[in-house]
Amino acid sequence: MSDISVPAHGLRSRLHRSATDPVNILMLLLLAVLAYLVLWPFIQLTIETLTWSQGDRRLSRDAVPGEFTWFHWLQATTGPLSTKVLYGPLINTMITGIVSTILALLAGGVLAWCVVRSDMPGKRWLQPILTLPYILPSFAIALAWETVFRSPKVGGQPGLFEALLGTAPPEWLSYGAVPISITLAIHYFPFAYLLVAGALATIDSQMEEGALISGAGRLMILRRITFPVVAPAFAAAFILTFGKTIGQFALPFLLGAPTQYHTVATMVYANLALGLDSMAFVLAIVLIAMSLVAIWFSNRFVGKKSRRFETISGKGFRSRTIALGAWRWPVFTAVAMFSFTVGILPLILLGVQSVMLIDGFYGLENLTSHFWFGTSNPEIAFGEPGVLHNDIILGATWNTLKLAFISAVIASVVGLVIAYISVRRADNPLARALDQISFIPFLFPTIAFGAMYLTLFAEPVGPIPALYGTFTLLVLISVVSRLPYSVKTGVTAVTQIGKELEEAAELAGAGWGMRFRRIIMPLASSGVLSGMMVSFVGVMRELSLIILLITPSTRVLMTVGFGYAEEGLSQLSNALVLIVAVLTIIGELILMWIGKGKMARLRDKQS
Amino acid sequence: MAKITVRNLTKRYGSATALNNVSLEIESGEFLVLLGPSGCGKTTLLRCLAGLETPDEGEIIIGDHVVFSSKNNTMVPPGKRNLGMVFQSYALWPHMSVRDNVKFGLDVLKTPKGVADERLDQVLDDVGLAHLDGRYPSELSGGQQQRVALARLLATQPPVFLMDEPLSNLDARLRMDMRVELKRFQSDTGATTVYVTHDQTEAMTMSTRVVVMKDGEIQQISPPDQLYRQPENTFVADFIGMPRINLVELNAEDGRATSFSNGDIRVETGWAPGVQKVIIGARPEDITLSTDSGAPGEDYQISAVLPNGPETIIQLTKGQTVMIARVGHDTEFATGQTVKLSFKRQSLNIYNAKTGALVTPPDMGVAKAG
Ligand SMILES: Nc1ncnc2c1ncn2[C@@H]1O[C@H](COP(=O)(O)OP(=O)(O)OP(=O)(O)O)[C@@H](O)[C@H]1O
Ligand SMILES: [Mg+2]
Repeated sequence: MSDISVPAHGLRSRLHRSATDPVNILMLLLLAVLAYLVLWPFIQLTIETLTWSQGDRRLSRDAVPGEFTWFHWLQATTGPLSTKVLYGPLINTMITGIVSTILALLAGGVLAWCVVRSDMPGKRWLQPILTLPYILPSFAIALAWETVFRSPKVGGQPGLFEALLGTAPPEWLSYGAVPISITLAIHYFPFAYLLVAGALATIDSQMEEGALISGAGRLMILRRITFPVVAPAFAAAFILTFGKTIGQFALPFLLGAPTQYHTVATMVYANLALGLDSMAFVLAIVLIAMSLVAIWFSNRFVGKKSRRFETISGKGFRSRTIALGAWRWPVFTAVAMFSFTVGILPLILLGVQSVMLIDGFYGLENLTSHFWFGTSNPEIAFGEPGVLHNDIILGATWNTLKLAFISAVIASVVGLVIAYISVRRADNPLARALDQISFIPFLFPTIAFGAMYLTLFAEPVGPIPALYGTFTLLVLISVVSRLPYSVKTGVTAVTQIGKELEEAAELAGAGWGMRFRRIIMPLASSGVLSGMMVSFVGVMRELSLIILLITPSTRVLMTVGFGYAEEGLSQLSNALVLIVAVLTIIGELILMWIGKGKMARLRDKQS
Repeated sequence: MAKITVRNLTKRYGSATALNNVSLEIESGEFLVLLGPSGCGKTTLLRCLAGLETPDEGEIIIGDHVVFSSKNNTMVPPGKRNLGMVFQSYALWPHMSVRDNVKFGLDVLKTPKGVADERLDQVLDDVGLAHLDGRYPSELSGGQQQRVALARLLATQPPVFLMDEPLSNLDARLRMDMRVELKRFQSDTGATTVYVTHDQTEAMTMSTRVVVMKDGEIQQISPPDQLYRQPENTFVADFIGMPRINLVELNAEDGRATSFSNGDIRVETGWAPGVQKVIIGARPEDITLSTDSGAPGEDYQISAVLPNGPETIIQLTKGQTVMIARVGHDTEFATGQTVKLSFKRQSLNIYNAKTGALVTPPDMGVAKAG
């Protein structure tokens, strides 16, 4: 009898205690909110594709709004337009995705080796330039490409190519698969570079030296030791880069739409523009499925392998650089020229073009500051005033900074709380669920995520008002989309804070709120602050995520810039993109500065 | 000030039992040391007292308050138990200055500023850190960090101190100095102290009583001298003392209740333990060696002589049996020599070989209970 009753009491008391524990209450609250903001939109999007909507009466006589139907899926997969709407874009997405990823990986891999393992000179200042293309808004590179290769055959003024060579570039070089793949590769190679460089940095030279002593040649070492060790990182980089390219919207749109070259992402946008919402949602789900398959592959085949290699870092770790000998300066020249071409030249091109009165005519008499400082003039650009005089743009700048700041702060604090719960309550299945659910937005290609939120808050639900067109909605989606990153930053920070630091405060009688405020927050602050800055810059240059949710009153710089580019007002869009670029570069500089401060403090702690 | 009672405490981690039915009474003002091999549950017991772990079963009473009881669903949170703790890692908050670290507990208690400042100055002065109060923990030496942890404990004047290997991160000399200081603070405040350590010298020199644990169970609770002289089972006998006690298994000789041997050696107990197989325990210093062939005892051969500062450790063999003896540093013994070995009979402990438990002669039953 008593044997049974004792554990029962224990269980009840534990239940009672956990119901009043503020951390548990917070955990349940966050779980509910995140389920609504992450899982439910996806379910709703799926339901949407499986029901008739009001607008469908135009498309089919059978349409009964609100009833279940396979119509949209059938139309997308077997309908007469399926090639144009689904299969064509799908193939285009695969082609540009794979080609750009291979190019990005090649460039990133070679550069990573040069920077990490060789004794190439000038690494210190080449490295930041090499990451520039990834820091810039992705369609800055598309705009720069257009500046050079624009073809009057498709419309608009001639580009630099024609101005210099006197002949128009071939169309395949101006628009379509080739420029999209190349510009995507330029935008994403720094991403691959960072991943591979990270892996290369973990190689212990002693492994290679071991092979050297046993008589292996340079090439054999590269093939048998170095490459197999970084192979998992390479594969992971491939899949992650591919996953990112397929969600890209603005860049393929600018370089593909003029010749009707569509990817799935641009097709989502195009269908929404035509009012074919359900079709757009079908495509969004296809995009999500592609991303899920990619991530699944990465976990299935890469995750395990790379984990197996993790134990290799042992004591006496050393990383020795390899002497390039006579190749030192040629390699440096090549890398420097490459960094200039992809990192700095696009900015120069955009800058030059933004001061040309009539686009495409390269001459001093054509220079103007109108697009920067001018007031409205009906003769130029449909009367749009220069960017620094333009109320729309000033409003958009304010919106951009406000959105980026608010989202970054909320995402970081919420991320830290979630990280805290998932680290400190690791044995609680609900805490693990919270951790996982906060990672899910990473799996959604950004434009598809935007599409989900289009339906989520279209109508009021219970106490939640309709949010479509509000600034709040933009903050919500930005915060949720940053959570996978901010939780990760938070986990790193919280893991480094010993549990005993908190227990000591608990013994002194400090409640959870006080411990979080006085111990966890200050100690996690440097990590969280840099995470906040990353989010700030990330939100600022985000376009695909919010393009579907923007209304005139909530415009941000990126959407205004994209709007100008769509209308062919390239000087204005270039000027705007330059503004965003400068803001993001300032953000990155602050980040580097914070990072240095953090390093210094860490050194302090170790001494 | 505060007596601590632990009744039938059990703590499990999944299927592993870290504490098994532990019962213990700690008198007010006592300095109780928990001692035992790694993983025996010392830290777990301490953390259960602090309220940082929730036991599965049992009861803990501190002072007049039941702070944990599985029967009544009582679990007083750590902050309400009115105790202070020093962690092995010190757990100093790296983002707070020395002063702020010490002040935190007073902040939680909402101590008025004037009173708090006075108390802080006093405590920092006591531990000798008054001149460093603006520094951060990373700017202090190990010994100084130790003092900050101590000051933090003293600031709120709790009636109970819990310490988990507080000196283990210090070098040997500093450890010795800190022992004296810790002991001084404890006796000045009169706080009931529970102290975990691996270090036997620490346990022996500081404690009023020592608890020896093994696999989550208490093996013996005794004052240090009794623990050393009269270990209650072979585990404790073997665990306490450096160099180790000599434990030799012997069988009763035919028809005699007081004489035991293993073929190599013979021991006369002088009284009847009442079992067939015994293990005798003889501390190395309870062995007398003599070069005089007329001395009592048996002939052993010296197989090693290990000088160790003030003493010399001598290893001896007779057949399969190995013995360790401790003699003064000015010894003349040399390896290979044959000497006479005898035991100081009154300090021999006799254990039942089957159970490992101490068998006491009839007239010593009283001593054991005390
Ligand atoms: N959080 C935990 N989860 C699972 N098992 C644990 C946990 N904490 C302790 N244990 C287990 O409980 C047992 C007792 O651990 P405890 O830390 O109390 O030992 P200890 O006596 O303090 O050892 P040491 O001298 O090494 O500090 C060990 O077997 C340990 O593995
Ligand atoms: Mg321990």
